[in-house]
Amino acid sequence: MTVITAPDAGTLVTPRKRGRRRPSLLIALSFLIVALVVICAFFGSQIAPFGANAQNLSLATQAPSAHHLLGTDDFGRDILSRLIVGARAAVIGPTLIAVGALIIGNALGLIAGYVGGRVDYFIMRLADLVWALPGLLIAIVVVGVIGGGYYVAVTVLIVLTFPVDARIVRGAALQQRNMPYVEAAGTLGISPWRVMLRHIWPNLLPLVMANTFLNFAFSLVALSGLSFLGLGVPLNTPDWGGMLAQNFSLIQSNAMACLGPAIALVLTATSMNLIGDWIYERLSDRGRAR
Amino acid sequence: MTAGAAAEPLLTVSGLRISSRLQGTDRVITVGTSFSLAPGETLGIVGESGSGKSMTARALIGLLPAGVRAEGEVIYRGRNVLTMGGRELRQVRGAEIAMIFQDPFTMLNPLMQCGAQIVELVTDQDGKRPGRAARREEAARRLAEVGITDPAVADAYPFELSGGMRQRVGIAAAIARDPQVLIADEPSTALDVTTQREILARLREVQRARGMGLIMITHDLRVAFALCDRVLVLYAGSVLETAAAERMEAEPLHPYTLGLLLSDPPVDRRLSQMAAIPGSVPAPDQIASSCAFAPRCEWRAEPCTLAAPPLAEVAGDRWSACIRIPEITPEMQRARAEALAAQVGQDETAALPDDAGLPGAVVAARDLQKVFGDKRQSGRRVAALKGVTLEIGENEAVGLVGESGSGKTTLGRCLVGLETPTGGSVVVNGVDTRQAARLGSAERRRLRRTVQMVFQDPYSTLNPVRTVGSTLAEALSAADDQVRDVRRAVAELLEQVGLPARYAERKPVALSGGERQRVAVARALAVRPRLIVCDEPVSALDVSVQAQILNLLTAVRRELGVSYLFITHDLAVVRQVAERVYVLRQGEVVEQGSTSEVLDHPRHWYTRMLVDSIPSSEEAWLEQASAAEPAPSQG
Repeated sequence: MTVITAPDAGTLVTPRKRGRRRPSLLIALSFLIVALVVICAFFGSQIAPFGANAQNLSLATQAPSAHHLLGTDDFGRDILSRLIVGARAAVIGPTLIAVGALIIGNALGLIAGYVGGRVDYFIMRLADLVWALPGLLIAIVVVGVIGGGYYVAVTVLIVLTFPVDARIVRGAALQQRNMPYVEAAGTLGISPWRVMLRHIWPNLLPLVMANTFLNFAFSLVALSGLSFLGLGVPLNTPDWGGMLAQNFSLIQSNAMACLGPAIALVLTATSMNLIGDWIYERLSDRGRAR
Repeated sequence: MTAGAAAEPLLTVSGLRISSRLQGTDRVITVGTSFSLAPGETLGIVGESGSGKSMTARALIGLLPAGVRAEGEVIYRGRNVLTMGGRELRQVRGAEIAMIFQDPFTMLNPLMQCGAQIVELVTDQDGKRPGRAARREEAARRLAEVGITDPAVADAYPFELSGGMRQRVGIAAAIARDPQVLIADEPSTALDVTTQREILARLREVQRARGMGLIMITHDLRVAFALCDRVLVLYAGSVLETAAAERMEAEPLHPYTLGLLLSDPPVDRRLSQMAAIPGSVPAPDQIASSCAFAPRCEWRAEPCTLAAPPLAEVAGDRWSACIRIPEITPEMQRARAEALAAQVGQDETAALPDDAGLPGAVVAARDLQKVFGDKRQSGRRVAALKGVTLEIGENEAVGLVGESGSGKTTLGRCLVGLETPTGGSVVVNGVDTRQAARLGSAERRRLRRTVQMVFQDPYSTLNPVRTVGSTLAEALSAADDQVRDVRRAVAELLEQVGLPARYAERKPVALSGGERQRVAVARALAVRPRLIVCDEPVSALDVSVQAQILNLLTAVRRELGVSYLFITHDLAVVRQVAERVYVLRQGEVVEQGSTSEVLDHPRHWYTRMLVDSIPSSEEAWLEQASAAEPAPSQG
């Protein structure tokens, strides 16, 4: 059809297939920890050697032994079993918060960054307003006053977290908005929604994913903090933060009763952060023009 | 290799091999460059992107980035720069060998006054820092040397100066410690054409006055021939040819050099078809153990691909890496003669009547104005367009030339609908876009699609996370959601821009700059526009690829009858592609008319200045620029 053909560059420029870099040991370990926690979250009650709330007062406050690997608390409940079952609260809440903040924050951030003008101003002032609130304090007050637990705490934390996402996404979207490929999509007559979702958002994915993992870790700690204070999770539901608070007095007799949940919290949160970083690097490599 | 001059060379480079190590794999950057520089000599290193020219320059001064290694020898006054330690290097840098960088906008510290930057490291005979008054005096003297007589410049911060002024301050700072060798890495590339001439003239003046050796790194053969005594052609890490500038210009002795010369569009006449080198620049690893240019060479033969041919003396002090030179010289001469003779008969341009555009204009702008900035703060308002009237007819190619800041890009963006004019009107297909708000959104989008745009930067024009196919498919369905066979339609589009259909599966990162620009053209064509605004479509591409894209655009127009608005600073490009041209200066059209009329007989002084600023190897070109003391323009 045309007279000019581009040379077959197949031999010269091959699609760059990078050798799949194997994740480092640290990342592999992080994945392992998170996988364990997730399995426990789903099948905790089947895996746990004892019932999480099974009391045996004759075995109260025992140090770790072959029978009770992490010992028991002052009601004679098996610490390991409570840790395993408690993983559920450690996964569901933070996941809901991270995903909720992702959806709300990204939608608002994209609109603010792409549409700009008054819409941007309004959304960002809203975000500023939420940001100006003393986050955890509000959560404590709201959950304390309303009572009613875990999902109220989760909702409050979503509201407190999404402005961060909105702000980050808005900044990145502002940068993308003036890229020629976004402008070209506009001149082709593609609808603004499609431009935002199909052209801009996929390019923000590394940032969004990394931030979502950070949010997960943050909300895990925040939720545990609330239940440490006795807010959120009902008392009879095993929860790492709650265990930490309840077993604090046992630190002399069975240190594992309170070190166990503390270690579980720190490991899970750190692993999620590391995985977030790793995903960010992987995704930014992909398709980037250099 | 000989320096050509009898004098003892200042700098001798032999077997300079630069390689980088990234993620465990070695990548070759240059395969063993050798040259020397005599005092007072100007050596041009000419190469396209990826040729290794900038890395070579950096190696000479020990400024290679982390992870990049240099082997071989760079001998300066009996010492090897490559093996020097940090302390020794710092003594050589600036004081013995100095460097000027490409970007005058980032090269100077934005928080330091220009005078202070120039004399920052200047010391007196005892190695002591001179006093405040002495430093000021020194700065003024240095600025005068690069043609800045206004003493206020020494107290100015870089942001207060124009690009050309900054580059001159950069030169003054580079030579402040009286180096023997000056390396200039694309010193004029980021500047406007008129400023480029000034800077090159200054460089040569300073060099002659001091008898410095000058190494000029550039991608532009025209610039190299204008300024340099000797030229070294670098391609994919290998030196392909080296010779005295005027002899190389008269008769290139390597197919690549010939190709570069031929694909450089002439400014004085229009060619029906530009000679283009097929393909794109390979990475040095990909052409190891064969002639670097073999994959793109029309005279390639068996022996070319067996081993990398060494640089050999093919005539008196003419060095070429082409082993077939004795056989193919007559053919190369014929090719050059044909290209020089090739000229569009006036008939093709004349075939389009001069008033073709006027009645059925596809797009017309009337008294178009655009003011940027806050309406309430008059101090912050910048008028980019001050009442521009322009028309583009059916199947017409119109050029729009001007320097940066002339408003040419703003005008293009107003026509496409990416900017909203603050005054005047844009009429697309007979519909005033101011009334577009009253149309339905579908109708409005159809109007928008009438005018499409091809952007300058091939690296951000395509969405990096989407494949070429999905980008094109989306464009196709935006215009017509009843496309039945999208795959076939995408393949047809790719074929139209000369790419194989399997490119649909690739992501932009796997394409070269030229290929990306082809996809960008295909995307614009997908919605069947009547006008494509091309904003500097080739200025970011390698010289050898530019001609391919220009030829493609011409062919597309012949086939589909689409109109073009070519926004460019390059008059030679305008000559090749446009029938009519508008010259824009500070938001106003200062001259318009048929391309040949405007370029051959410019009436406005500004047009004449643009025409004169095209690099030429005639001695007078630089002399005139340095004779005419340019008014130091601030802001």
